[in-house]
Amino acid sequence: MMGHGAHAEAGGWRMPPMDMTMPMVPGLENALPPVSPFLIGDGMDPAMFPAAEPSRRVVMADGDTLDMDVSVVRRTIGGRDYAMLGYGGQYPGPLIQADRGSRIVVRVTNRIQLPTAVHWHGIRLENRFDGVAGLTQDPIAEGETFTYEVDVPDAGMFWYHPHMREDIQQDLGLYGNLLVTPPNPDYYGPSHREEPLLLDDILIDEQGLIPWGEEAPTHALMGRFGTVMLTNGVDDHRIEARAGEVVRFYLTNVANTRTFNVRFGNARVKLIASDIGKFERETWVESVVIAPAERYVVDVRFPEAGEVGITNTIQAVNHFRGTFYPHEDTLAVVSVNGPAVDDAVTQAFDALRENRDVAEDIEPFRALLGKPVDYELVTTVRVRDLPVPIVASMEADTFYVPPVEWNDGMPMMNWLSTGTQVTWILREPASGQENGDIQWRFRVGDVVKIRVFNDPESFHPMNHPIHIHGQRFLVTERDGVPNTNLVWKDTTILPVGSTMDLLVEMSNPGSWMVHCHIAEHLHAGMMFVFEVTEE
Amino acid sequence: MMGKMLLALALLAGMAPGNGDPVPGIPPTTCSIPEGIVPGETSWAPLPESAAPVDAPAYYAFPVVSTRRLPGTGLAAGLGEVTFPDSPFGVTLADDGSYVLDVWLSVERLMAPREGVYVGWLTTPDLDKVERIGSLTDGGQLHGRAQWNKFLLVVTLEPADDPEAAMWTGPVVMRGMSRSGLMHTMAGHGAFEQENCAAYGYD
Repeated sequence: MMGHGAHAEAGGWRMPPMDMTMPMVPGLENALPPVSPFLIGDGMDPAMFPAAEPSRRVVMADGDTLDMDVSVVRRTIGGRDYAMLGYGGQYPGPLIQADRGSRIVVRVTNRIQLPTAVHWHGIRLENRFDGVAGLTQDPIAEGETFTYEVDVPDAGMFWYHPHMREDIQQDLGLYGNLLVTPPNPDYYGPSHREEPLLLDDILIDEQGLIPWGEEAPTHALMGRFGTVMLTNGVDDHRIEARAGEVVRFYLTNVANTRTFNVRFGNARVKLIASDIGKFERETWVESVVIAPAERYVVDVRFPEAGEVGITNTIQAVNHFRGTFYPHEDTLAVVSVNGPAVDDAVTQAFDALRENRDVAEDIEPFRALLGKPVDYELVTTVRVRDLPVPIVASMEADTFYVPPVEWNDGMPMMNWLSTGTQVTWILREPASGQENGDIQWRFRVGDVVKIRVFNDPESFHPMNHPIHIHGQRFLVTERDGVPNTNLVWKDTTILPVGSTMDLLVEMSNPGSWMVHCHIAEHLHAGMMFVFEVTEE
Repeated sequence: MMGKMLLALALLAGMAPGNGDPVPGIPPTTCSIPEGIVPGETSWAPLPESAAPVDAPAYYAFPVVSTRRLPGTGLAAGLGEVTFPDSPFGVTLADDGSYVLDVWLSVERLMAPREGVYVGWLTTPDLDKVERIGSLTDGGQLHGRAQWNKFLLVVTLEPADDPEAAMWTGPVVMRGMSRSGLMHTMAGHGAFEQENCAAYGYD
């Protein structure tokens, strides 16, 4: 794949790589995003910055403190050095491990010029530590430190990331996992080993990183898809296993916009848990569809020696040819070798567990699953000042909209659209209010049903991963069909044309955000704040 | 291919599903009786009308139109509704990453044949994969599951109801196309071209 960048370069902008068979949209040959290009350490030799180290596990006891700075680091991707960002000088950030019910303290010092803040995604923690700059705290300016006291009431795999210009900061490597371990060692079924996989992508051409928009994000229409897949921060992640071993994978999607369809070759895959704990029942799945910010936990048994590719297997769209085409990226390779094992763990894999503890946890909400909808939201988009050819193409493209955009099928138009021209909208039909004008108020203990509809007849719809801060919810219905295998979530994908009913337990007081977790959609307005009061 | 383009044009022209009227600008297809098909009698009774098509809100719907190749079917109208199968992930994918979609067919004003049975099929645009989804014998509604990103929904008149049939043998009575079929090459036929498909040899 060659890039058009060579003849599109001007003012520091390079157009992202695109298939050369794809024609330029007429009238856009010399167009550039109407924002300034931005790169960390632009013009500076990456060798000036310290080399980032692979992520290390940090086991924290109740009350422990971790000092973690945000700094510019040197990363090597595909044999080339880049100036990027790191938590604690690591890629990804440290894998923090804490016991459920504990409180950990993380002192974050900002050593970059960009103001930042750390959001503890999925954690029902005290509101003032939620890490939303401008809402729960002031931004952490360069040289400043903010101390987060993180209570972890739920078991599961969580993650942390900036909540300021995450389209830039998170994309440059600011993300890490927070593993909250349950008190019961038998919480999950047995496995031979555990592998956290943080799935990401980054937009690189032959000259390096494609700049981000300084005043507002580029790629506001579809989000910034990368050209290089990164798993745990590298493009060649490898895992060792023995034949017969059961490997537990903790999957976290930290990409700006890409939804992955993760396959494990022909190995059998058991779906165990998602964002905030286990499913009511384990199930077999063929693949795992994981949207930005979602987490899934799966057990995979590798029966035979050999190499197994963990892949993102999709049908991409080629708008020029008007076709779908198979596309596969290797996210990691599992080398299965050594003496085979066939022990109790191997045998236990064949059984699917019913999780009575989860059912008991959900039981108080069971009678409310069918309650009437309290609030409705509809997703849509509004554009202004976009070049006419882009708007015309978008209109034509709306004849068919896939449920999920797996690839950037219109990279030029997407790149040219910025957060100043595109407004993604969460709209409340009952009040007519949109985004920040929506005002919801609840009391602790309220259980609220919210229906979210991704209108396929809107101007140019797209899938949205909807994230609710500080609370947990159940997806009770999808498209009118009751969900018979519940799991607590904090983020859920909303495909185009889909309707989801979310039963939200308002358990945590404070001011909390609801937003689309496509980083560029968030910065294009797709968010609002709701209040939960003690009484 | 011509049929696909005609149907796509019909959709682009905003044809309301279910009215059975000719599409403005689209020449009506020939209403001759295909060879080997016995004409029916005027006493045919219409099939019972469909029940509520689907319980779930539709991802999208597309018209299923009469081919007007058979007496008694010219006024028939249908609707294909597409919904998502239940999945822990919101969408269900086949091994190759193609969407798995539930497709619901409802028809009205389709006169019962004197002989044979109407059968619904899902197939790819190339007709290289075909799946029988049932016979229209009780209420004019069928449900199938498509595992292809572009698909056609057709109703044929078969001499007998054979659940094991791998391919139709009778004439196509009604047809519809998934919206994804509207994606086609932009080589001189893109969003900014004003001429219609006839300029490219389709009539």
